Amino acid sequence: MEEEYADLTCAACGRTVEHELRHVGRLLSTTTCTACGHVVEVAPRSMLPAYLHDLEHRVTSKPVRMVRRARRDPARFVRELPGALLRQPAKLTAELWSIVRGR
Amino acid sequence: MIGQPTPPRAALVLLAAGSGSRTGHSTNKVFLSLAGRRVFVWTLDATAADPGIGPVVLVVRADEVDAAHAVLVREAPGRDVRVVVGGASRHASEWSAVQALLPMIEQGEVDVVVVHDAARPLSGPALFRDVVEAARTHGGAVPGRRQPALLDRAGLSVRVGEAIGVQTPQAFLAPELVAAYRAASQAGFEGSDTAASVERFAPDVTIANVPGASTNIKITYAEDLFLAEALLARSSFDLRRLSRGGGG
Repeated sequence: MEEEYADLTCAACGRTVEHELRHVGRLLSTTTCTACGHVVEVAPRSMLPAYLHDLEHRVTSKPVRMVRRARRDPARFVRELPGALLRQPAKLTAELWSIVRGR
Repeated sequence: MIGQPTPPRAALVLLAAGSGSRTGHSTNKVFLSLAGRRVFVWTLDATAADPGIGPVVLVVRADEVDAAHAVLVREAPGRDVRVVVGGASRHASEWSAVQALLPMIEQGEVDVVVVHDAARPLSGPALFRDVVEAARTHGGAVPGRRQPALLDRAGLSVRVGEAIGVQTPQAFLAPELVAAYRAASQAGFEGSDTAASVERFAPDVTIANVPGASTNIKITYAEDLFLAEALLARSSFDLRRLSRGGGG
């Protein structure tokens, strides 16, 4: 699960403060206001269809993104490709697991 | 064979500098990931296929220039984007961008300047086309939506009269915009948005209201990110398919 931090306005306390953002794959799963602790989250049951829809888009757009990366830096692309391929099963399993167990 | 002269195009100014100070390790919200792309890249995507929109000026904070270049290389390769450092206010950032465009405006390569808030990633290509077209016809164009249920602060009664919620992108004929910003600079005026400066210093310019879109949300609250993501998923991550949700 990846984390990002950004200053957003909290609907609960009304302050514009740092929020912690957690993602599953490309999708946002929870945001937490660091001032008041207000959490906004997607219910795991709702997350799964959205995740699968997004995964489909990730897979279908992958060839184009790979070609773009290869053009930008061919040597780096070749160097990093095996590792990236090997990481995919574990990455996808971790994403699915975080949805199933409800983070 | 003699080549045809290139018709002037609209320039896009993408305001991504923000105004508030950020704390600790916070990311500027326009640099956040939204369905696999940075928030501001969705606007570049919306205008990429429009031959009428040419140069892009991305206005960022001084400490975000490198990050902006890195995102552009990764997510918008081949796009003609100039990154400039913004000022302390929205008005100052707009003026920085307009000054970066001055050579192209003076040479007649750019006839319209479109100013857009990078925190509105779902404007879609149609709205950009509409404001550029209306600016060429009238002089200026601002998208807006009726807000029929605004309440008075005291008493929670519905406000009398018509209220319009103003959005971006806002488009203006470039020479008129430059003249207005030069005059604003001399007068020390800081407009709340682009239209405010034009309205005050170029009163002869008609600013047309084009129908905005309910989907043209501005990322402000944490919930807005969830909504933007859901709207993108509903349109299969293709902004051309995004419904405008009713204008006006």
